Amino acid sequence: MNLKKLTGSREFLLFIIVIAMFAIVSVVNPVFFSFNAVTDMLKNNAVTLVMALGMLGVMLVGGIDISITSTLALSGMTIGMLLKYNHISSTLLAFVIAIAIGTACGALVGLLISRAGVPPIIASMGFMYIYRAMGYLISNGGEWASAAALGSFKNFGTDKLLGLSKVIWIIIVCYIVFFFVMKWTRIGRQVYAVGSNAEAAEVSGIKVKNIKLMVHTVMGFLAGLAGALQVAVYASAMPNMAQGGEMDVIAACVIGGVSMSGGRGSVIGALLGALIMAMIPKALPLLHIDALWQNMIKGVMILAVVVINVILQRIAQRNALARREM
Amino acid sequence: MAGKSGRSINNVPESPIKKLIFGWEGILILVFIGVNIFCKWFSEYYNMFNLLRQMPVYLAEVFLMLVMAFILVMGEIDISVGATVCLAATMACIASNAGIPFPLVILITLLVGTCCGLINAVILTNFSELPPMIVTLSTQIIFRGIAEIVLGSGGSISVANTAGFKAISRKIGSVPLILFLVIILAVFAAIVLGRSTFGRKVYAIGTNRLAARYSGVAVQKIRFIIYTLMGTAAGLCALFMVASSYGANTTTGTGFEMDAIAMAVFGGISSTGGKGNMIGGIISAFIIVCLRIGLGQRNVNGQVILLIIGVLLIAAVALPNILGSLKKAVKK
Repeated sequence: MNLKKLTGSREFLLFIIVIAMFAIVSVVNPVFFSFNAVTDMLKNNAVTLVMALGMLGVMLVGGIDISITSTLALSGMTIGMLLKYNHISSTLLAFVIAIAIGTACGALVGLLISRAGVPPIIASMGFMYIYRAMGYLISNGGEWASAAALGSFKNFGTDKLLGLSKVIWIIIVCYIVFFFVMKWTRIGRQVYAVGSNAEAAEVSGIKVKNIKLMVHTVMGFLAGLAGALQVAVYASAMPNMAQGGEMDVIAACVIGGVSMSGGRGSVIGALLGALIMAMIPKALPLLHIDALWQNMIKGVMILAVVVINVILQRIAQRNALARREM
Repeated sequence: MAGKSGRSINNVPESPIKKLIFGWEGILILVFIGVNIFCKWFSEYYNMFNLLRQMPVYLAEVFLMLVMAFILVMGEIDISVGATVCLAATMACIASNAGIPFPLVILITLLVGTCCGLINAVILTNFSELPPMIVTLSTQIIFRGIAEIVLGSGGSISVANTAGFKAISRKIGSVPLILFLVIILAVFAAIVLGRSTFGRKVYAIGTNRLAARYSGVAVQKIRFIIYTLMGTAAGLCALFMVASSYGANTTTGTGFEMDAIAMAVFGGISSTGGKGNMIGGIISAFIIVCLRIGLGQRNVNGQVILLIIGVLLIAAVALPNILGSLKKAVKK
């Protein structure tokens, strides 16, 4: 990769933005420039960071999934209730159960989308209602599993391994695995192929339906994992947790340059997008901006990013045309 | 491409009555009757009097469905309407508390909604490459963000002078005013979508946007009008939301966009564009309203009702597709 390609890429631009945001906030308020502050920020946004990966896969094939935070609530609430009533006590088992539930949920959404031909937004909208309600029913109609009820499970949120929180290790592992799979394996390239041109991919022997099923199953897997992480990090489980969070995940991907029409986007982009989304609420109070402004600024940023992107593309196209005419 | 329901631009015209009975609308009417029988059996309070009394709260969302149907027929989506309702309801409360005469309050509320719709419309028509989902996702966050800023740390506001809002939630005989308004607007929307050149053009855009453009349909102008009207409908919805609760908070209107989409899609309006008609949407809206009232009367939790709506929604879209592919498999 030559230098020009590097500096012209979307990821490079985002990287500069992340560094600039970090630098500005650190200068204004040095508290932010510390190992603890950064790891805290990562830990608190573990859910968005992890699910952004799954959403990347879904959006790469041209789909969307808005049921993910309901899946998160269902899997998180299930282990919360199991721990509360002492059916299980092992942390590992809780994680396995949460992930199994999430994977099953994701597979069901994927089956409907790939096999029954339901548009992704409709299928995931239906399941957004269904999974959220199931989470609510599992909680016996709105019970919480508080920190005291979670036993040793909540320690996972505070435990450290080699100086880093276990939660952050999970994020790192997820990103490394995804980076390799998406870039250097057959499956990863097939996902890109399906997103770029589904018919061409089908003709060239890729099973488009199976790829679509797979990305939704992986999304479910990560949503289940995120459910366990959410319960561990916040040391509580409630049926309405992370409601509306799916929009943050989608926004992170969009800021990271993942195209809604499929085929374009990268793991690094999703990471940087999620980091920007994570930094906004952290940065605003440090810059003495009222927390009330947080959402509005978030929305304006997303809008600005996508609009600027379109303008840049138009300029690039015009330049390319002008060069050809010369 | 004879779709599972309603009209599609490339359908061969057939007898409308035959289509109504054997098409999706016929099934919807059966479901409507079924739901009413079920509710009657389920709840002893389910009668005409209570139905009319409890209806206004749920009917407000039907306004959203009426315009959302146009957007879905175009093959697009608007998920910012819930937030627009929140912002418009907030502004309605503030305007009313500032002592502004009530007709002006109505005007302001509709205007706030229209402005929100206008913002969507301007962005979407000027940058037509952008997917509506992303634009309305960000404006959703922005509109609710503005409402949060306006409402301040308390996060809620209530109306001090309720006289005006009481006036619009009053009844004529035993029928609430809003029901008349819904029916009038529904008939109007059905005629525009089904029987006017404007509606025809909307179907053309949803079926093949490029072909529509080349055959002289002003695609961007039509999108502009529809997205702006979506905002106006949200303003109208906000007005009746305030009239039913005499206040607004930061969660007012949460999920309304999904409810409106669910009503339209369950009514056979395809979210991929070009298919479905308003009659289906209206019948399904009343199915959902009746279901909510009937189940709500026996204190069935709102989450469970949403679960049922979710199942109905998915079944409505998935079943025809599954049956279709089964038929194909049998024929082979």
